Amino acid sequence: MQATFNVYRKEPGPNSKPGRSTYSVEVAADATVMDALLKIRDEQDPALGFRGSCLRGYCGDCTVRVNGKAAFACTAKVAALAKKGPAEISVEPIRNMPVVKDLIQDWDAFLWNKIDATKPWLEPNGSTADGEQRIPDTVMAKVRKAMSCFYCGLCDEGCTVLPVDFNFLGPAALTKASRFTWDPRDHAVRERLQILERPKGMWDCVHCFEASEHCPREIAPTERIMEMRDEAFKYGITNEKVARHHLSFAASVKRSGWLDEGRLAIESEGLTNFKGLMKLLPTAVKAITRGKAPIPYLHHKREGSEKITRIIEKAEANKEK
Amino acid sequence: MQEFDVLVVGAGAAGLRAAIAAKQAGAAVALLTKVHPLRTNTGLAQGGINAPLGADDSPEAYAGDILQAGDGLCDPGVVQAFTQQAGDAVMWLEHMGVPFNRGADGRFDRRQFGSNGKARSLYVDDRTGHVVMQVLYEQFQRARIPLFADWFVTSLAIDSARCVGVTALGLRSGVLDSFGARAVILATGGFTRLFMPSTVSIGTTGDGQNLAYQAGIALKDLEMVQFHPLVFPGGNALMITEAVLAEGAQVVTAEGQPIANLIGATRDKICIAILQALQNGASGVALDLTPIGAQKLHSRFSQTNELIRNFTGLDPAKDPIPIRPVAHRPIGGIEVNVSGQTAMHGLYAAGECACTGLNGAGRLAGNILTEAVVFGARAGEAAAAYAKSAPPKAFPADRLEEEKKRLEALVSAGKSEDTAGHIHGELGRLMSESAGAVREGSALQAARGRIHALKERYAQLRVRNESAIYNYELVAYLELGAMLNLAEALVVAADARNESRGAHRRSDHPARDDRNGLCHSVVTLVQGAPQADTKPVVAL
Repeated sequence: MQATFNVYRKEPGPNSKPGRSTYSVEVAADATVMDALLKIRDEQDPALGFRGSCLRGYCGDCTVRVNGKAAFACTAKVAALAKKGPAEISVEPIRNMPVVKDLIQDWDAFLWNKIDATKPWLEPNGSTADGEQRIPDTVMAKVRKAMSCFYCGLCDEGCTVLPVDFNFLGPAALTKASRFTWDPRDHAVRERLQILERPKGMWDCVHCFEASEHCPREIAPTERIMEMRDEAFKYGITNEKVARHHLSFAASVKRSGWLDEGRLAIESEGLTNFKGLMKLLPTAVKAITRGKAPIPYLHHKREGSEKITRIIEKAEANKEK
Repeated sequence: MQEFDVLVVGAGAAGLRAAIAAKQAGAAVALLTKVHPLRTNTGLAQGGINAPLGADDSPEAYAGDILQAGDGLCDPGVVQAFTQQAGDAVMWLEHMGVPFNRGADGRFDRRQFGSNGKARSLYVDDRTGHVVMQVLYEQFQRARIPLFADWFVTSLAIDSARCVGVTALGLRSGVLDSFGARAVILATGGFTRLFMPSTVSIGTTGDGQNLAYQAGIALKDLEMVQFHPLVFPGGNALMITEAVLAEGAQVVTAEGQPIANLIGATRDKICIAILQALQNGASGVALDLTPIGAQKLHSRFSQTNELIRNFTGLDPAKDPIPIRPVAHRPIGGIEVNVSGQTAMHGLYAAGECACTGLNGAGRLAGNILTEAVVFGARAGEAAAAYAKSAPPKAFPADRLEEEKKRLEALVSAGKSEDTAGHIHGELGRLMSESAGAVREGSALQAARGRIHALKERYAQLRVRNESAIYNYELVAYLELGAMLNLAEALVVAADARNESRGAHRRSDHPARDDRNGLCHSVVTLVQGAPQADTKPVVAL
């Protein structure tokens, strides 16, 4: 069958302007977009740049946007696209990843270097002479689920933080790091969580759940990030502003039945964080002058707050069990 | 130029394991790879990794099964060394973090896979290779070994019959550079992309085998190519792990007749049974996965389930999946000893590109990953030891310039009717027809002539893309050159073995011939032409 492709093009370098090329190519009835790209490079345009490795959908190397939707070039069928979509099949780089040349994107900056920054290896306990460690398969299954990730980049391409802050580690690198958190054979969990709590790490996730929506293997990166945060609390790793915000929020409700917003702001910044506290001043002044904050600022317990305290205490006791 | 004690070429399981071992032995190591470690063909391995770790198992029992599958051509000394190390090598993986499936007691669950006489394949669902690859890369990162990813090695640097490094093209920078080393380990994987269809990744093109072959090193048992019986043949072909057979899946003819006695059979026997059924008039053969049940398919074979759905559009819980034998992995390769040493000083090889003599004429299912970690580690240690003791030797002064000129001469803008893709397509179909699961002498001889013609066309071909950065046309061109050389050597070896043994089936010589056939084949490049010879199987 004959198919037409409209492909994103860009020469290497920061000053080159992106463009498009159109190719018409004869492919087999069961051909994939990868087959078509290979044929175009071979017969029509040897300079066309794209990646590909496994050719069957298990390695994640050829993720592109086909007709505006992220897909694997090696499993996207040309016939189905031609039947359903527009006359020209559009092929573009995925979002949130810099382009090196055409469809070849910078995986180093996008993912590999970020993974590398998370201490992404196991620091083993014990010695091989002791044989395998006895571990329930339910525990191993959780590790296996995280490791079914094939680094296709779809979660990072769906992430809503990366477009605003490219230096955010992103759901893929964080999911990779989460794999160790559940592994009893590792003795570097605390150290890793301390790395992950730094700015651009797990607390920068805004839990929009796009990553989980986009993951083709149902690994649910957003949930994995949430679980790692819980784990950090268990280790008492709460230095990040968002973590302190969580703690102050919970403590306020437990104490008074509702939110002490003034204290929340101060505790989130940290009592010894002079610079952060100074930044709050203009907001506080504005709030006071516009009558949004009572003077003197006194937080009262709400009516029946002791019931709320009891509910929270009970929940905490249950969780410890 | 950069200099290291040990350079590893290739980032699959064997290359990563070799690099880690060499680093642990105190060497300054670097790894060069044309594809990122997490995208290598190691990810294709699915069903399991063998280790004689069960209470009912032993290295001796494991050795017995390997010798059985090898059909008389295994080197028993290599088998012994391998089976004794396999348990520790796999236990190392467990300690480094491979989350092997566990039984109710929290110990390893083990599969009885292929023709193994015991349940000795540890596994990670149906993505064992994918997970082993990740753990090896994690430990590689832990060892802080410099990684040169997207680098294509174009030649070995040889001085006075010793390998002293490589020249490599940085795909991203477009720069050809030299890498000096006291020892080089080739771990470039298989070559079955020279068949079409095949089960392997796009880069499985025999680059390392060709580098060694060009340097005068023998390629051993090249005619022994493993065909995988359970492959959906459409497009680029999709392999389905044999582990499904032990879980209840059945091979049936299109007429619905089951093909019996496949559980516990070697791969070559299953392939023959399928081809036999087709010859007996079956209009097709399919894999019926429905006996496994939708739920178990999802839990135990989730990747298989997903790949079949995405790649074939069929539903394995309902539809029979058409299959036929397709070229899978080579058993032969660069001739090495049990430490991965080649006949050239300073040059080592490990993993699928190497041939230790372990597998003889047929590889036991579940062995490939064990081989990668056992022989990868051995080659890494041996190369590090050699690097320590070898006298320093300078990288040949003009080597880089020569190589630059050679590559520049390949590039010439302009149009041409002929292309690397066309030559590759013709080669792949020719090899599948003439050197497939069943071969015949006259067809092999004719194939040699046709490969020669393809090589002549290849010599006329030029790389049209003049851009240096990510010039994948140049990469594909160089890969095709390697495949043409290996295809020719393979056909010569297959033609020379006038018998049927293990993975090598000859319709004109259907029987095993122990008088003439109990020997390895070796093919060496002599004055530009492949020359076949034999070597005895080394007894204990």
